[in-house]
Amino acid sequence: MLKMANSFPEEVLEHVFSFIQSDKDRNSISMVCKSWYEIERWCRRRIFVGNCYAVSPRMVIRRFPEVRSIELKGKPHFADFKLVPEGWGGYVYPWIVAMAVAYPWLEEIRLKRMVVTDESLELIAKSFKNFKVLVLSSCEGFSTDGLAAIAANCRNLRELDLWESEVDDLSGHWLSHFPDTYTSLVSLNISCLGSEVSFSALERLVGRCPNLRSLRLNPAVPLERLANLLRQAPQLVELGTGTCLAELKPDVFSNLAGAFSGCKELKSLSGFWEVVPAYLPAVYSICPGLTSLNLSYASIQSPDLIKLVSQCQNLQRLWVLDYIEDVGLDALAASCKDLRELRVFPSDPFGLEPNVALTEQGLVSVSEGCPKLHSVLYFCRQMSNAALLTIARNQPNFTCFRLCIIEPRTPDYLTLQPLDVGFGAIVEHCKDLQRLSVSGLLTDRVFEYIGTYGKKLEMLSLAFAGDGDLGLHHVLSGCENLRKLEIRDCPFGDKALLDNAAKLETMRSLWMSSCSVSYGACKLLGQKMPRLNVEVIDERGPPDSRPESCPVEKLYIYRSIAGPRIDMPGFVWMMDEDSALRLS
Amino acid sequence: MSEGVMAVVKPEMKSYIWLQTADGSIQQVEEEVAMFCPMICREILQTGMGSSKNYAISLPQRVNPAILGLILDYCRFHQVPGRSNKERKTFDEKFIRMDTKRLCELTSAADSLQLKPLVDLTSRALARIIEGKTPEEIRETFHLPDDLTEEEKLEPLRNITDDPRIRLLNRLYARKRKELKEREKLKNVEVEEERVDERSVEDLLTFINGGGEDSKGVRANKNKKKNRRRKDHPKDSSSNSVYGNHNKELDVLSSSCHDGEVNNMASPSKNSKLQDSTSVTFSPKLEFDDGDIDDDIDPAMKEELDREVEDFARRLNSDWPERMQEILSLGQERRLVPISMNGNGSTHRYTSMSCIVWIGDNNLMVNDSFVRMSSSSFEWIARDASMRFAAEEAVEELAMSFGAR
Repeated sequence: MLKMANSFPEEVLEHVFSFIQSDKDRNSISMVCKSWYEIERWCRRRIFVGNCYAVSPRMVIRRFPEVRSIELKGKPHFADFKLVPEGWGGYVYPWIVAMAVAYPWLEEIRLKRMVVTDESLELIAKSFKNFKVLVLSSCEGFSTDGLAAIAANCRNLRELDLWESEVDDLSGHWLSHFPDTYTSLVSLNISCLGSEVSFSALERLVGRCPNLRSLRLNPAVPLERLANLLRQAPQLVELGTGTCLAELKPDVFSNLAGAFSGCKELKSLSGFWEVVPAYLPAVYSICPGLTSLNLSYASIQSPDLIKLVSQCQNLQRLWVLDYIEDVGLDALAASCKDLRELRVFPSDPFGLEPNVALTEQGLVSVSEGCPKLHSVLYFCRQMSNAALLTIARNQPNFTCFRLCIIEPRTPDYLTLQPLDVGFGAIVEHCKDLQRLSVSGLLTDRVFEYIGTYGKKLEMLSLAFAGDGDLGLHHVLSGCENLRKLEIRDCPFGDKALLDNAAKLETMRSLWMSSCSVSYGACKLLGQKMPRLNVEVIDERGPPDSRPESCPVEKLYIYRSIAGPRIDMPGFVWMMDEDSALRLS
Repeated sequence: MSEGVMAVVKPEMKSYIWLQTADGSIQQVEEEVAMFCPMICREILQTGMGSSKNYAISLPQRVNPAILGLILDYCRFHQVPGRSNKERKTFDEKFIRMDTKRLCELTSAADSLQLKPLVDLTSRALARIIEGKTPEEIRETFHLPDDLTEEEKLEPLRNITDDPRIRLLNRLYARKRKELKEREKLKNVEVEEERVDERSVEDLLTFINGGGEDSKGVRANKNKKKNRRRKDHPKDSSSNSVYGNHNKELDVLSSSCHDGEVNNMASPSKNSKLQDSTSVTFSPKLEFDDGDIDDDIDPAMKEELDREVEDFARRLNSDWPERMQEILSLGQERRLVPISMNGNGSTHRYTSMSCIVWIGDNNLMVNDSFVRMSSSSFEWIARDASMRFAAEEAVEELAMSFGAR
């Protein structure tokens, strides 16, 4: 037994490990035996931390001394729906401080839903000499001053991506901080910035970076400028246009069309704010090469959408507003046989009446016509069990199925029954389903189905569903692979949660807001489960000013080996042994 | 002899190199094939060895005759200059097909001969074998020791949660901390009474607080309106939650809780492994927020404690194995495994990373590990500073319990 370990030198094993990069496999390797654990930890270069409070920077650094790339996630997913109050947490600064000392050779930082300050950005710019990749996805807390620091100091920067972040946009001047000698840009995404950047600086930057592959502009870049940029960078693979608002000018149009036709490598297109449909034909020349199209900001109506989409026979991913309507989805199903992912967003989510002719039929068509479709996010106003059954049978390959019927508790519009059976069919047929969001009128029955069939389910989102604790119990006891569970406005209380307390340690996190979990249960959970952080988020004031049986507003439970966090705002209470001692 | 004669008579005039493997056997191989191995090549050029049987080049120990044969086959093929990339690739793919054990030997041998292309080829093949497997499967495939203890393996969280010893531990510790806090309060008010302590002097809790006390993040409280229309769920202000019927359930729960054993914690589903495949697999450890225990200790006592900590740490570091023997010889029912003390992970392989907890006089409980082989075990066992902290705390307890210091 030990023979193998002895004759196989560490460096060789390390070399073998260098060909294994997936987090899952690296984690498996580290669990094989003590010697492999040791070797693996010294050669791990990339770390993913799904919850920044699950572990402390010091712990990561201590275990993995040679990390070059880190990815951190902060706030829970429901923060996207404004359910997490401002100031909750997710501060990256402590991580940057620790890594500035421990990882001077750090190259990549990827953050999602974290609070990033200018101070953090400045520290990054100063501390990591070989810094290459900064991705701030749905982050907030920084301004363009911080970006200027990055631009000015990171000589080897390859990627700067501000995907959907909230930036305090003081001015567009930061872009000019890239020195003239800087030429290594590969990817730039500034689509979330509001103000105008200096166009000449942008053009010069684009012109001197021969490796630029991805450029996503912000709305402030007008159409006229786009052609110039494209001519500077015909090697682009991904493009996010600026604003297209302009009345049709023939010379601008032909200039643009010409520029686009020169971009033979273009595979992904996005942006299209305020697009005037008359300009769309300018991109027709590159449509056949497109694999990804993001029109979720474009108020293009169905006929124009159909014309556009029908040209994209190789499309694999489409994000679009519901202006596409059923007829547009029919056309999509007919032309885009390689479609893998579809997201249909609501153009008027708060309106009471439907403003477009988009129904469940569109989704049925696509599930029928696109054999490779495996990921769907679909907002609509009506659904039926029959349609869901058809979809499930047509497409058992779904790995991600997120259906959002806009009005809560909407029943099957044909039978007025709950949609339990329909979603049941989805989980039953789609054996590889990893992510599911349910909506509409749902009883505990649907959770029985989910618990029974959702064996590969990793993430589940519930809203306005279920009758009582049994529903939650089915999910927690049945879904073996569940990692993230997020619940809002469901009548789940204490019993299921406490009965399945041990399950919570096998998951990354549980979010429950506007449910019926009492303060007493939270305390109990916090006391009994030292490896869970049980956070009660309540903006009404201290929970012990109310009776113990009173339900908490919001509850966020996550496993952690870092213990209770110390950066909680006034409206978050940590339930742990100390608090129990303190408060009792 | 005939071989020699034949050599002279042979028309080809091929040059041969003599190689000797660790078992003593010698073989000869065409020069150009042998030269393909950097290590052999260097030997030949620098030392002039290999030209005859008596001066055979000694190969590294990791190269046995069978493996040498394989390596030479590889060299023989690849040293031919004219081959296309496709040909080479096809050969490689076929060449690699062998059982895992042999593949390991080959990788190791190729490495010792510094034959990088073959090392890469075999390493990649091994990587492919490893990918997608569970730790158990990997262990089986490579005949590796299963030396991570029971709780450190695949389902540590489930085991840990269900382990009654750990639950007991948690409760005891919580109680103890409460006592400590109360005692702190009392200390300032009255003369500390001699606390009757039923636990043995050797009470020792060797957890370390590894919680992140990093600097607070700078908070940004910018109130920006998010343009997230397309992701918004429509808000339903009507509250549909059912608040009733809690009290009854809760009463039942709290009463059973006071009895010390919350029996309604059902065990989670059977195969709930550590699911977070995409997150850092840190096993949670028992975190004890000791931050405030050191407060309010008067300076004299603190000094005393500091000295004790030093002593204590030194004692632990040196005596531990002996102490273990001592305890083992006491003949009580216990399972003990020594703690490994040293810091640098890479060169130290200890047979166990367990932790010992002593609760009560004779009731020695061992938790083989609260944590998997994770950073936690290293950090709370390995580093001096951390050790100090735990030691500090333990010493303080001792001080408290004896009242006098």
